[in-house]
Amino acid sequence: MAMLQVNQLKKIYFKGRFNKTPTFELNADFSIQNPGIVGMMGPNGSGKTTLFELITGSNSPTSGQVLVQGRDIHKVRTDQRDRLAIHYHQSYQVRSFRSFVPNVLMQPAGSDYPMVHLFDEPQFNTQDGYIGFMLDFFRKLRDEGRLVFLCVHPNERFHLEILQEICEQFIFVQKGAVTQHESYEAVLEYAPAQDYLGQLLKERAA
Amino acid sequence: MALFEARNIHKRFGSSVVLEDISLSFEEGQVNGIMGPNGAGKTTCFHCLTGHYKPSRGSIVFDGTDITGKPPQRIARMGVSRSFQMMNLFDDACVIENIILALPEFRRRYAQVTSSVFNDKVLLTQAYEVLDQVGLLGQEWQPSLSLSYGNRRALEIGVALAANPRIVFLDEPTSGLGVEATRQLVKLIQKLRDRYTIVMIEHDMRFLFELADQISVIHWGQVIAQGTPDELQSNKWVQRSALGAVA
Repeated sequence: MAMLQVNQLKKIYFKGRFNKTPTFELNADFSIQNPGIVGMMGPNGSGKTTLFELITGSNSPTSGQVLVQGRDIHKVRTDQRDRLAIHYHQSYQVRSFRSFVPNVLMQPAGSDYPMVHLFDEPQFNTQDGYIGFMLDFFRKLRDEGRLVFLCVHPNERFHLEILQEICEQFIFVQKGAVTQHESYEAVLEYAPAQDYLGQLLKERAA
Repeated sequence: MALFEARNIHKRFGSSVVLEDISLSFEEGQVNGIMGPNGAGKTTCFHCLTGHYKPSRGSIVFDGTDITGKPPQRIARMGVSRSFQMMNLFDDACVIENIILALPEFRRRYAQVTSSVFNDKVLLTQAYEVLDQVGLLGQEWQPSLSLSYGNRRALEIGVALAANPRIVFLDEPTSGLGVEATRQLVKLIQKLRDRYTIVMIEHDMRFLFELADQISVIHWGQVIAQGTPDELQSNKWVQRSALGAVA
């Protein structure tokens, strides 16, 4: 059974109450078989956080499903979804989410400790030394059979070093389109990723 | 067996998980450091360990006794003292009064203390002993507000020690202290380490690297790293940071 399966997932945001026009559309269809560390990149506003929210079940998809170890997260009790997949937000915001279906009619999570950990742009600072501890922690989670997502918005050279050091595969999000890449080298071959990283890649070459 | 042990502490407030899974153990006679970025859950962890919050899951064992969910005053009487990030002193009272109020002996007998406590030999002896430990002899009659910030920190530690604890939890003792006052505090803690088991939350990594026997790094409500200062400093990224340059 796959660790995480994102099946034909679609989220469309609309504007206007009566005459609805779509403003943003996110499409994702990928699966990750084994525990590991997955890097996620993409420009601002491309849908990274929305994808995280859909994976953790704190946002409802327009269609499609997310299976965490075979369990459809959107059918799990809302107060137990973070036992399957947990979203560590950029800042320490608390978001409340309600489902139309009451919790008693939904499934239990069946886990005490989250299976999928999604780190949304953790604060990396080369001066304080915490980076090493964070990376070791990601490795520990992987070794204990968890799946780790690390979303980074690289704006400094060392951000790429971190991704290269720790991530085994990558997800790239661009204007709502989600692509999967099997290695750091592979994602750098992808033209939209090259455009996005532009200057940073040149710095490396220099 | 460790003097104090927390096993798989989980704490949530409604829909937000503040402590995911914290396991810590503190050996008798050691100085233990807890560090982590803002919002990592360090103070919430202290609140759980000292009974101010009840953990949602997990257990806390002090000297072989399960103290999970016990009220803070019971835990304190068993020999677990703590200080807070914000200073909790009686500003108008003088230094020695702050100490006397925290003495278990005073609390045991306060109904019988009819004359001035300042004539009570037992209380005074105990209070002076504490003041001696924290280096405030000679300033006992000053209003606590008139002390320097560093000495107010020392007094706060004195208030925690007055309860005659076996383990002392200090929440960011260096916060707001300048270089000189921090140096004084290092000396004070080095003096106290022979008598007490100490657990300190600290932002200042250098301070911990200098003092602690064991350090736990908390982030995202979990212990992300643990080890001696040498072990932690050997990390490649720590070497690359401002700390590595000094170490």
